[in-house]
Amino acid sequence: MKAPTSVEPMSQRMTVTFPYKHSTGEVTGRFLAGLKEQKKIWGRRIAGQGVVVPPNAYSEIDAKTGGEWVEVADQGTVTAVGVVAQPVKDLHPSTEPFAYVLVKLDGADTALAHLVLDRIDDIRVGSRVKAVWAPDEERKGTIRDIACFQLVG
Amino acid sequence: MSKLRNVAIVGFAQAPIVDADPHHTAPEMLYPVVKQALASCGIERKDIDYQCAGSSDYIDGRAFSFSQVLEVMGAWPPVQDSHVEMDAVWAAYLVWVKMQAEECDTAIVAGFGKCSEGSPTHVLNLQLDPFYHASLGLDHISTAALQASAYMAKSGVDDAGLAEVVARNRAAGAANPDTQLRKAASAKDLQGTPFVTKPLREGYLPPIGETATVMVLAVEGKAEKMCDKPVWIQGVDHRIELQTIGSRDLTQSASTRLAARNALEMASVTSAREAQVVELGSATPAEELILRDALGLPSGLGGNGASADGPVVNPSGSPLCGNPLMNTGLLRLAEGFRQLSGRAGERAVAGAKRALVHASAGHCLQQNIVWVLGTERRWT
Amino acid sequence: MNEPPKDRIKYVQTDLHLPYHYYAGDYKALYLNALKDKKILGSKCSKTGKVFVPPVMSSPDAHAPCTEIVELPDKGIVTTFCVVNVPVFGRDLELPYVVASVALDGADISIYGLVQECKAPEVEMGMRVQAVWKPDGERLGEHTDIKYFKPTGETKAPLESFIHRL
Repeated sequence: MKAPTSVEPMSQRMTVTFPYKHSTGEVTGRFLAGLKEQKKIWGRRIAGQGVVVPPNAYSEIDAKTGGEWVEVADQGTVTAVGVVAQPVKDLHPSTEPFAYVLVKLDGADTALAHLVLDRIDDIRVGSRVKAVWAPDEERKGTIRDIACFQLVG
Repeated sequence: MSKLRNVAIVGFAQAPIVDADPHHTAPEMLYPVVKQALASCGIERKDIDYQCAGSSDYIDGRAFSFSQVLEVMGAWPPVQDSHVEMDAVWAAYLVWVKMQAEECDTAIVAGFGKCSEGSPTHVLNLQLDPFYHASLGLDHISTAALQASAYMAKSGVDDAGLAEVVARNRAAGAANPDTQLRKAASAKDLQGTPFVTKPLREGYLPPIGETATVMVLAVEGKAEKMCDKPVWIQGVDHRIELQTIGSRDLTQSASTRLAARNALEMASVTSAREAQVVELGSATPAEELILRDALGLPSGLGGNGASADGPVVNPSGSPLCGNPLMNTGLLRLAEGFRQLSGRAGERAVAGAKRALVHASAGHCLQQNIVWVLGTERRWT
Repeated sequence: MNEPPKDRIKYVQTDLHLPYHYYAGDYKALYLNALKDKKILGSKCSKTGKVFVPPVMSSPDAHAPCTEIVELPDKGIVTTFCVVNVPVFGRDLELPYVVASVALDGADISIYGLVQECKAPEVEMGMRVQAVWKPDGERLGEHTDIKYFKPTGETKAPLESFIHRL
């Protein structure tokens, strides 16, 4: 019998599921606690970068630890915007069109990635946005303790 | 610059790039390509000292996925082999480094990844940190869109400009039998396609297809016996930027600028404009414009910089005509090989003696590798 | 307060759900479909004549194409085996049970199968075995269409006849 030149394809679907509990460490863990307990956004002053939001445990420039905690405002300027017209199932935070933004919060030198859910066609680079906090009982210590950002004015 | 070993690309073979091949597993796609690449050099598997593959377990949906191709690359007699959880162009870089360390003289590099079997969108989200970025559901098109919007705000490039970049790559792809999208498209038609994540439209984003690729490399002394026109690696450098997208200036590719500077210096070449061919690993039109800026090349928009003495950029059509993950970068290096060794058919850039090749990995051009290839040996 | 709380959030939970759609490829599809008909297929190396089960496109040692498909009998030899004494996630078998590497007559490598219808201590390297299939109508084109192998009672095979076919 000769090797197959063409055979009816056989296939199998499988969803690989992995549960992960990622350890946050001191810096990320305290930043997230700041969102949950205080409704405050904290950055860290890092040599060569300024005030880094969101903060990491090590400098991404020279890998040094340390750095003073600095509170930043919960509003800032959009530095980048992508309006998701076709939300992806089981991935995106909304089934309706929404926007991803990078926001340089007042007092920060780096931009935070987040979402805008309303007036998405009005957002531009340079727009001013303000955090919308999740209600007290819904804040769990994740980046979504900030529910989203919304346009100011 | 100390003297390094002259290493050449002496052969390349690939399977057609398709949306999906339901009749062949990854090793079955790769096996005929391995045979073809070896045959093109007039050698057998036993003439190879080293092998390295580029692939991703997450794309394949298999742990230790690379082990499935060991026997089709050749498992007997055993040779040293290695793997990078990256595009195969980095397997080629690893091989180049091994040759500089005198650990091998001849090698094959393989790329594979049946992207149709999984969801690249869900997988590429996992390249981001779980705390601040992946948990927002950021996908690779959305992060690319963020970069594009920042670039457009700074440079003034508009939607029509993005469409123009894609249209000229699609025109090149139409003349390339080895790419996936081989039909030209007008900027107007592309602008008429709906947004996926604004400012990136469907027409601006390539299909993520699948293929298998094999490249053969050899050192001076052996390369000449394996290829009529070996293409010499004159310089190479690889640089990585921060993972946090908001902490980088997304409007420029600092790591491409630095990698190019280092690779050109190694090659003793002043600028990218001294190459006759440039291949960029850009998967969106904004990425191409950012990379051109980083390499000191004109944008080419509205006829700007289209001069007889500048390099031809993306004669292959670039990844905009097909982005088979894990192979995309190696295909750029292969285009450099094809162009400089007289194997580029109808799309050959006449008189090409030097090529600059770029490839990228990670969100928003996080890592970049730049190669300088030439028809002449760098070190004598 | 000039710092965030000292009591940190310790974990961020991420539950990954990655969808995959695996294709068997023509060689494995041919093999799996044949199991429905109680047929076991292999492929033969064009250079050495070695027979591989399940069939492969290229020979792992000779690196040559294996283009000829051959049919093998559903009996062979236990080359090596192990006795499992602990429960395994996803497997619901009475303990202890035996998993063996079975070299079918004519094959140069072995396939995996359970050995049943005998006690675990009775299994030996070289033991001759016969496949026991799922009944007609229940075979789906999966490796488990062979429920297990059972001893035939014939004299065990000498070591030289299977040591290179593990």
